[in-house]
Amino acid sequence: MQVTVNRVVDCKGLTCPMPVIRTKKEINNLEPGEVMEIQATDKGSKADLKAWSESTGHEYIGSIEEGEIIKHYIRKVSQEEQKTETKHGEVVSLDELLQNLKGEEKITVLDVREPAEYAFGHIPGAINIPLGELEERFEELNQEEPIHVICRTGNRSDLAAQKLTEKGFHHVKNVVPGMNDWKGPTEKTK
Amino acid sequence: MTKVAIIASNGGLFDAYKVFNIATAAASIDAEVGIFFTFEGLNLIHKDAHKKLPMPAGTEHFQEGFQRANVPPIEELVSMAKELDVKMIACQMTMDVMNLEKEQFVEGTDVGGAATFLNFARDANITLTF
Repeated sequence: MQVTVNRVVDCKGLTCPMPVIRTKKEINNLEPGEVMEIQATDKGSKADLKAWSESTGHEYIGSIEEGEIIKHYIRKVSQEEQKTETKHGEVVSLDELLQNLKGEEKITVLDVREPAEYAFGHIPGAINIPLGELEERFEELNQEEPIHVICRTGNRSDLAAQKLTEKGFHHVKNVVPGMNDWKGPTEKTK
Repeated sequence: MTKVAIIASNGGLFDAYKVFNIATAAASIDAEVGIFFTFEGLNLIHKDAHKKLPMPAGTEHFQEGFQRANVPPIEELVSMAKELDVKMIACQMTMDVMNLEKEQFVEGTDVGGAATFLNFARDANITLTF
C-alpha cells in the first residue's frame, strides 16, 4: 500500500520513550490536517503511539508492518476541527447514505479526507479529493449527479459541501457524522 | 491540562529510567510535569553522577541488554526532559545534609523544599514516587 504523507519521521532503533518524544516534537512541524509517517522498530510503539494520539487528540490512522519496521500514520488534528458545528444545510445520516448507495439513482460519494486516511479504509467507489485540494480539483466531479460528501467526523465534509455549493453544485449533501462511525462496507487501497 | 507530580528518591540507574521515561512520556502528551529529587534521587540530576549511575548489585549482566536494545543514556533523557519543560526541583534539605550546591546539578534545576513540591502536586492528576 502506497501512502501519501507530508513528513516521514525516523524512529528506527529507538526504544520507549523515544518514539513518543520524537513524535511529539515532529507534530509541531506539521500544519493541521497534515499526515506524518513514523517509522519505528520498537514493538511497544504499536500500543504507545495509539495511546499518545488518544491523549493528545490527534488522529491515529493506522499502521503497516514491513519486516521489522512498523510504519505508523498520524494526522494532526486542529482544535477548530474538534468543534461539531456544521453549516451546510443538507445533511444525510450514515444509514441514509447506505440506503442511497443501494438505490437506483447513481450517486457520487466524495471522500475529502487525506489520502492516508482514505487508504486505510473508504467506502467502495468513493472518490478521494482532500479538502485542501478541492479548490483546484472540483471540476473532476459530475455536477449532475447527487454528491454525498464524507470525512471522518462531518466537519471537513461540511466545509467541502459549502465550497461545492459556492461553485454552483446543486445536489450536495453532507454525510454526518462520518467514517468514524461508518458500519457499512469499506475497502483499503492496495 | 494533565499534571504529573513525581518524587525521585532513589539514585540507581534503574530508578533513573523509571523517573525519566515516565516524565518525558508524560511531557510528550502535553502534560505539565514536575519532579522533586530528594536523598539519593539527587544523583539523577547531579552533573557528574547522572552520567555513571550504578546498576543494582547482581544486575550488571543487564548492561548488555541496555546496549542491545539501544536504550538512550540517562544524559539524553535528562536533556529531553529539559527540552520538554519538565520542572526539576532539587530538595534543599537533602542538599544541605549532603553539602551540595545548586551549581552541581544540571542546568535548569530549581531548588525548593517540601512545600514547593506540595504546592506543585496539590492539583496534580497523577502522583508517582520512585
